[in-house]
Amino acid sequence: MPIPALFSGRDPVARTVNVITDVEFGEELPSFEPDVSLDNVKLHGKFVGWGTGRFTSHEQAKKEGFPGAIVPGVMSQGFLGAMIHRWAPKAVITAIDTVFRAPVMVDNPHKITGIVTDIDEDEGTVEIDISISNEKEETRVFGTATAKLPK
Amino acid sequence: MDDDIQKLRDEYLNLEFDEVSFDLDGERMAMYGQCCGETDPKFTDVKNEDFQAPPTFVSTLVGGRHLPKDMPVPDGVGMDAGKYVEWMAPLRAGHTLIGKSHLHDIYTKTGRSGRMIFFVTRMELFDGDEHVANADTRTVFRERPSG
Repeated sequence: MPIPALFSGRDPVARTVNVITDVEFGEELPSFEPDVSLDNVKLHGKFVGWGTGRFTSHEQAKKEGFPGAIVPGVMSQGFLGAMIHRWAPKAVITAIDTVFRAPVMVDNPHKITGIVTDIDEDEGTVEIDISISNEKEETRVFGTATAKLPK
Repeated sequence: MDDDIQKLRDEYLNLEFDEVSFDLDGERMAMYGQCCGETDPKFTDVKNEDFQAPPTFVSTLVGGRHLPKDMPVPDGVGMDAGKYVEWMAPLRAGHTLIGKSHLHDIYTKTGRSGRMIFFVTRMELFDGDEHVANADTRTVFRERPSG
């Protein structure tokens, strides 16, 4: 039986899963670097919302007491959802809960992670611990997601 | 449970205080997907035959109010402490959703800097008669230490 990446210390293998039996307990989802650039946050602000100064201007954010512009929480949640979809293209995310512990800073590299913590093959569901951390490995956003996969 | 929190729960939980409608715009849905890193065309291409909003798009649908108009709120600025989405059915471009909001929970956490009060506002979203999603927003107020 393969050793899940969580326990082996290996980087997660960039693979996709299609059915519930493909999923391994403890496996780490392939990640991607979320685009937290000012340009992308501005684009989001223009078309989706959250386009005010604290999100789109480092100067304005500093006036409001932040170290710089911050990424809207709805984008952070979206990055985590996209990670699950890339890993399991046929999955349906039925629930996702995110706690905004600290701001995700614009123009600062961040890492998103997901780890499978439970599998229910009868229901076809998986539970995934999700998080976003910065270069100092400080957790900025964390939570859980439930996804349903074909059997 | 602190007495003041119990009183708020007794008076305000589970009472609808806001109703709004949302016209689902395909371009807005697709741009959200693209900005968040979705790669499946069903989330990014309005011309895809299965085009729908990513489930987390639900969090971008904001009601007219986060808290009941007549409810006393703590001093200070409320901060967005988190969001929860319960997804039940796809959100399709061109449809109109009705969002009905109520206070789902009120609770506290006490840390070194004092008490924090969390309000969980739940917006139930309907596409016609179909309940398609719930969107929870947790707002936290940090009380100023007394004395």
